[in-house]
Amino acid sequence: MKDTFTMDCPQPRLLDETHQGVIGTGMDRPDGPQKVSGTAPYTADNPTEGVAHGALVRATVTRGRVAGIDRASIANLPGVIDVITDPRMTRNPAQGMAGEAPVQPGDAVHYHGQPIALVVAETFEAARDAAQRLKVTYTTENAAVTPENGEHEVGEPDAAGDFQRAFDSAEVQLDREYTTPSQVSAAMEPHAAIAEWKGNEVTLRAAQQMVRFNKAELADTLGIDESQVRILSPFVGGGFGSKLGLGPEAAAACIASQKLGRPVRVVMPRQTVFDCVLRRSETKQRVRLGATKDGRLTAISHDDQVSNLDGEGFAEPTSQASQFLYGADGLSFTQTVARIAATPAGSVRAPGEAVGMLAFESAVDELAQELGMDPLELRLKNIPATHPLDGRPYSVRRLADCLTGGAERFGWKDRAVKREGDWLVGMGMASAARSNMLVKSAARVRLTGDRAVVETDMTDIGTGTYAILAQITAEMLGLPPAQVEVRLGDSDLPGASGSGGSFGANSAGSATFLAAKDLRGQIAERLGCAVDDLTLQDGRARGANREVALSELVEAELTAEATIEAGETAETHFSSGFGAHFAEVAVNEWTGEVRVRRMLGVMAMGRILNEKTARSQAIGGMVWGIGGALTEEMVNDSRDGHVVTRDLANYHVAAHADVPRDMQVVFLEERDDWANPIQTKGIGELGISGAGAAVLNAIAHATGVRIYDFPATPDKVIAALEAKG
Amino acid sequence: MYSFDFARPTSVADAVAALGQEDAQALSGGQTLIPTLKQRLASPSVLVSLSAIADLKGVSAEGGTLSIGAGTTHATVAAEAGAYPALAELAGQIGDPAVRNRGTIGGSIANNDPSACYPAAALGSGATIVTNSREIAADDYFQGMFTTALEEGEIITAVRFPIPEKAAYIKFQQPASRFALVGVYVSKGAGGVRVAVTGASNDGVFRWSEAEAALAGDFSAGAVEGLAAPSGADMISDLHGSGDYRAHLVKVLTKRAVAKANG
Repeated sequence: MKDTFTMDCPQPRLLDETHQGVIGTGMDRPDGPQKVSGTAPYTADNPTEGVAHGALVRATVTRGRVAGIDRASIANLPGVIDVITDPRMTRNPAQGMAGEAPVQPGDAVHYHGQPIALVVAETFEAARDAAQRLKVTYTTENAAVTPENGEHEVGEPDAAGDFQRAFDSAEVQLDREYTTPSQVSAAMEPHAAIAEWKGNEVTLRAAQQMVRFNKAELADTLGIDESQVRILSPFVGGGFGSKLGLGPEAAAACIASQKLGRPVRVVMPRQTVFDCVLRRSETKQRVRLGATKDGRLTAISHDDQVSNLDGEGFAEPTSQASQFLYGADGLSFTQTVARIAATPAGSVRAPGEAVGMLAFESAVDELAQELGMDPLELRLKNIPATHPLDGRPYSVRRLADCLTGGAERFGWKDRAVKREGDWLVGMGMASAARSNMLVKSAARVRLTGDRAVVETDMTDIGTGTYAILAQITAEMLGLPPAQVEVRLGDSDLPGASGSGGSFGANSAGSATFLAAKDLRGQIAERLGCAVDDLTLQDGRARGANREVALSELVEAELTAEATIEAGETAETHFSSGFGAHFAEVAVNEWTGEVRVRRMLGVMAMGRILNEKTARSQAIGGMVWGIGGALTEEMVNDSRDGHVVTRDLANYHVAAHADVPRDMQVVFLEERDDWANPIQTKGIGELGISGAGAAVLNAIAHATGVRIYDFPATPDKVIAALEAKG
Repeated sequence: MYSFDFARPTSVADAVAALGQEDAQALSGGQTLIPTLKQRLASPSVLVSLSAIADLKGVSAEGGTLSIGAGTTHATVAAEAGAYPALAELAGQIGDPAVRNRGTIGGSIANNDPSACYPAAALGSGATIVTNSREIAADDYFQGMFTTALEEGEIITAVRFPIPEKAAYIKFQQPASRFALVGVYVSKGAGGVRVAVTGASNDGVFRWSEAEAALAGDFSAGAVEGLAAPSGADMISDLHGSGDYRAHLVKVLTKRAVAKANG
């Protein structure tokens, strides 16, 4: 039985009325023991009989054409099988939710590091060796590799009111420019694929986040029907956006396997992950704020310049949260995209907010300073009644509670710059916001006796999907979670939203909920009671004065499949997670080192499905905030665009030594009735949104100087301190 | 990595003979050379490992001099150079335990990486570099980034440090590699005051003579206070820090090193 549900109006809060008591608890991940013992089979771990190994050959020029590949140059190397070139090969991963093939460049080279061929050999080592030795000749063309030199596409502004007039007449004005460098996801598991054909059907094991979309992308890439494609991604070692779309390693593995008639495995070395997986664009941002002297915002503008490669539709949505956090008489947001020949840009954790809020919330903080006002008060004073651009009401918004509650917990009112030897200690804060989404998603739940199975192609990229889908099902069917098996990441299962945009739990969770809800109806029917009178707990069904064990009641399997998609509530209401970040930092006045002493994130993000995995997501986001504020910086060579920082020694993600022990996360109780039938909001990305700005604002508080070129590395801190004198 | 032949002599004489072959390259702990080979930035025909030569190992102190065999690992120096605490502490902060258990003092000084720690200790102590054929004063030995007075085929056999009255090393670490973004080694002994700086200059390790002069009369952090930091124009400017920032750190770390040396 299949049900399709559109989210057109608020739904009963059924998960608050069920009796199993597992929803929201910090249940351990069922897949935890496998993961920590190394027995969870990630893509490249799967033993495959007769597998050959592929290594991507990558362009060593910035733009041009491959004029010749000298196969003889590696033909005599032991173990080398073939050099594969094919018009179906792809130049970079598909953008998230593309559902179609990414650019297939043929012999054209569009950026330095682009995959141009695959060398296949009997061992990984032989393949990599041969890929490096392969002699390739090119014809070259000139191309801009820096945003300044690239062709600029200026967008139409998103606007409300008359910004310019409001800004020009503002009693207090702030006009600042900020820059942020490119960033990369650098998930722990490098991108990997194993492809195997049987007849005209291919099975691809791959590290992917969005199997339903990836299936369509692969079929389109190969020019075959989706029915001929199966993708398996049951375990994925981190994604952060980098595995949203089908990658060039997966396309190449499938093509090579088809040509050679044997399975082919392609694993990207870390350097390749940096070179040809989508990066987060560098940004140049101009924030203009106008206000009355008593701190009412009258004008808000956040313009940005980002970059991407030709043919990529994605542009870092830098001002996403700036458009709805605060109200003003005039607002305006204009985006410019510079076209450059460099590793293309795409979604990296919290696209938009991660870097946009660094700038915007720094500007709000500086405006408070100019006004001589508590930055907390300035924010509280400017929370708008409705969405400032389109007037939609907010679904549920506890931003003020997060701000005031966080301030109280953190000791905000007692903040004063302290000196501890060479260290200057200060506090900063920022609002957090990350808009919430519901994406079409399907799931099937099967119940036999008191054991249930959840089936969906949804992925668990380390986020806890296995846990929360088990909890939702267990709660709805009155079962201990250990009696619910969750099967994920198989494209033969009902198609889910995939993991991205923090919408996975909302979407796949809601589909699972609806399927389980359907089963509740079937159980009630068997019991002979109205579904509203049904109580399910600990494997027993009660209703109509009967109590029967599910093991007796459901001897033959019951099945329900449900599909959910966004409906009218997405039009009538604006849903977003909100929060507040607080940070205390110490800045060394002689070396410019910044040490984050403690952080607090207070977040209202709808119903929390699993307190432990939610907290883990939130803390992970805050760690990204530290990285964006202080350390993460991808550098491209300004001559040919090639990535210079190609490993985790040169691209510094915040490590344990950079992260304080005191990282607190508080969830405020909330239900978003307009979001979805389980009243949740996205979690992962809210943790990063604004977190870095709190750190940067704390530096400003501690030192009295502001940095506008992020990350705030020690040399920039010292330069700012010296400029202040 | 390209293919090569491998020799593992057990005496200095045999090693010198082996290094006489065309495109031969000495290998000590391999902490720089092996990654270099892996990246195909070097292609010697013969690698001559010095690791089996017993004469190159060991730490001994006698008459105010600490002698360290060139093949002694950083971990051993850290553990056994107690007669010269500043040097032992420096050795204990190089890289990570894996590096310290493989890397050697001779290898580090022969390589003369502009950000390595040992060159600062050798120059900052007025050490003597002993080779199979001669003795070279540290002042004459270090000749620029990755450049030394060593002749083709010449092997460092030991480094002799005069143990100063006071000494200290302060390093501002590059967080991933733990190389010195800037490192300053100061010492005060019979030969006067020395201030050696690593990690900063495009010319490799150097003596900051203005600071030495100021400290000669007044060995205190305050004596450095009035000095202008060296010019950032000749400093290394890279992903990890600008030349101006490195120049700034030279002064900051010199003050800290002096304060530390004074206890």
